[in-house]
Amino acid sequence: MKALLATVSSLVLTTVVIGNAYYQKKQFYPSIVYLTNSNPSMAVMYLQAFILVLLVGKLLRKIFFGQLRPAEFEHLIERSWYAITETCLAFTVFRDDFNPKFIALFTLLLFLKAFHWLAEDRVDYMERSPVIGWLFHVRILGLLMLLAHADFYFIHHAYQFTASKGPSVQLVFGFEYSILIIMIANILIKYVLHAIDSRWEAPWESKAAVLLYTELAINFLKVLLYIGFVAIMVRIYTLPLFAFRPMYETMRSFKKAYNDVVLSRRAIRNMNTLYPDATAEELAAADNECIICREEMHTGAKKLPCNHIFHAACLRLWFQRQQTCPTCRLNVLRAPAPEPAAPAPPPAAPAPPPPPFPNMPPPPTMMGWGPPPPPPPRPAALANLTTAELQRLEGTERRNVEARLLLLREIQAMLDASVLLMQQYSAVVANMPQNSANAATQTDVVTNTETAAPAPVKKEPDVVPTTSGAGLRPPSPAPSSSKAHPEGPQSDAATALDSNRSVMQ
Amino acid sequence: MAGSALRRLMAEYKQLTINPPEGILAGPINEENFFEWEALITGPEGTCFEGGIFPAKLVFPPDYPLSPPKMQFICEMFHPNIYADGRVCISILHAPGDDPMGYESSAERWSPVQSVEKILLSVVSMLAEPNDESGANVDAAKMWREDREQFNKIAERLVKSTLGLPLQ
Repeated sequence: MKALLATVSSLVLTTVVIGNAYYQKKQFYPSIVYLTNSNPSMAVMYLQAFILVLLVGKLLRKIFFGQLRPAEFEHLIERSWYAITETCLAFTVFRDDFNPKFIALFTLLLFLKAFHWLAEDRVDYMERSPVIGWLFHVRILGLLMLLAHADFYFIHHAYQFTASKGPSVQLVFGFEYSILIIMIANILIKYVLHAIDSRWEAPWESKAAVLLYTELAINFLKVLLYIGFVAIMVRIYTLPLFAFRPMYETMRSFKKAYNDVVLSRRAIRNMNTLYPDATAEELAAADNECIICREEMHTGAKKLPCNHIFHAACLRLWFQRQQTCPTCRLNVLRAPAPEPAAPAPPPAAPAPPPPPFPNMPPPPTMMGWGPPPPPPPRPAALANLTTAELQRLEGTERRNVEARLLLLREIQAMLDASVLLMQQYSAVVANMPQNSANAATQTDVVTNTETAAPAPVKKEPDVVPTTSGAGLRPPSPAPSSSKAHPEGPQSDAATALDSNRSVMQ
Repeated sequence: MAGSALRRLMAEYKQLTINPPEGILAGPINEENFFEWEALITGPEGTCFEGGIFPAKLVFPPDYPLSPPKMQFICEMFHPNIYADGRVCISILHAPGDDPMGYESSAERWSPVQSVEKILLSVVSMLAEPNDESGANVDAAKMWREDREQFNKIAERLVKSTLGLPLQ
């Protein structure tokens, strides 16, 4: 309604202005001269031209797109604002050439750009729309052909102009249309891929990879163009501020495409070489559904280092986005490979401690202990880890704490046993004749404090046999040292146990 | 690719109709286009949004479930985590790497494990417990923090308006 009003009013205004000029001058040429010399009349004419361009745009849109979707329209408006701002910036560089023809050329550029964007959006929409009729194909192909021809024509024109008359604003046009022609190529490739994909019944797995590489190549071309353009502009005119935003965005998307390609290639290679295929039992044991596509897994399933199972094809698609496990977000590029590179047992994991009483038969409780629990992998620095890895670490840490608790209980049992032995020992000693007991305790003290001193050692052989001969089962040079133990370490162990328990709670 | 997205959406739709979660209704707006859904969310009990029925639109990308859908409430909303235009801002709807508010850890971001049902359940819990640290609607976040009474009043008005009840 508003558009209609604007059209009609501008038409009326133009008629009035022209009528007025003709009425005043009565002849064709004088009225033209009058019109071009009067600023208000020219303003009206510009407005009329602008409205005409909009009308043509609407007509073409009707022909090639039909009704625009709201998202497409929003997108168009958003990009138009950027483009208009940049055009205004470009005007500042070429203010010497500023004339109606110049404005007309820029308007035409904007106009064509808008159709490129629309075509791009429409082709992207192909993937989502379930039904694509022949009309769609005709429209898109026709539009792409038309746009490509226009782009070629303008590039050619710009080239001819620059070659014959030296650098001018045509440089900008040549460059802008080159970018647009690359865009057309990109759209065309996407269109062909989507069209092939929609023809096939089976999902086409390598399409995403092809798209990824296309994007990389296209972005690379664009980056080259931008760099060349900026270099030329800096040499001839000044810094082309208006090209900076698109240049930055192109570089960023190029970098992203590059990273995507490199990382996904690495992840997919890992998947193909390192990760085992899920076996039939594993598939049967787990819920037999691939969490990515929500379909059952029969064959072609892969198991990640974190034991989660997915379709290999689905994983490949996901790895092109991110290199993590979809379920637990384990970073597959940083995670240790499952079998071949199992981390060496860390030094911190306690090897079975040397039995405190070398000559004593190990207490029966030792039996249940068995080999130490498998040491968990220990990463170097906590700060470098992602949250997922920290959580994983926490999982194994819990197991470590439990293992430690078990260990402490064993130690306590052993210490209890040694207390028992000591009591037995002191009972035996008490029953012995007084002086020999004295001698025994004396040597104990001596061996305890001055093991290195050679003199008292001489005495030892006399005494030790007597004590051992007195029926003490464990013949030990150790009892003296073990005397101190029952109090110290045991209580330590007990407190450690308590603190561990409180941690567990 | 389009095929797999479509199949998964159909599977989710089937799942949601067979076994609907409490207080949530969701499905494609029309069966021609499975990439645009409408959802009805009832306000969680015991909160200021209790009793309301809030319609929202979900738009799925062609590479769903590799990328998250977008969600937007169609009705008027006033909530710290909902933009003024109705777009929902919760971490589950953001792909890792894009973080509009800079608060979210990648552990709670989108991954194919998520689903429409999980998104809607998260939205319900978001309604119940706004996260006023990453405010999409700063006014609402401020009011939630400082003037809960006023916030509740606005919420009550919204509930009434979604039910088509007269506002006193």
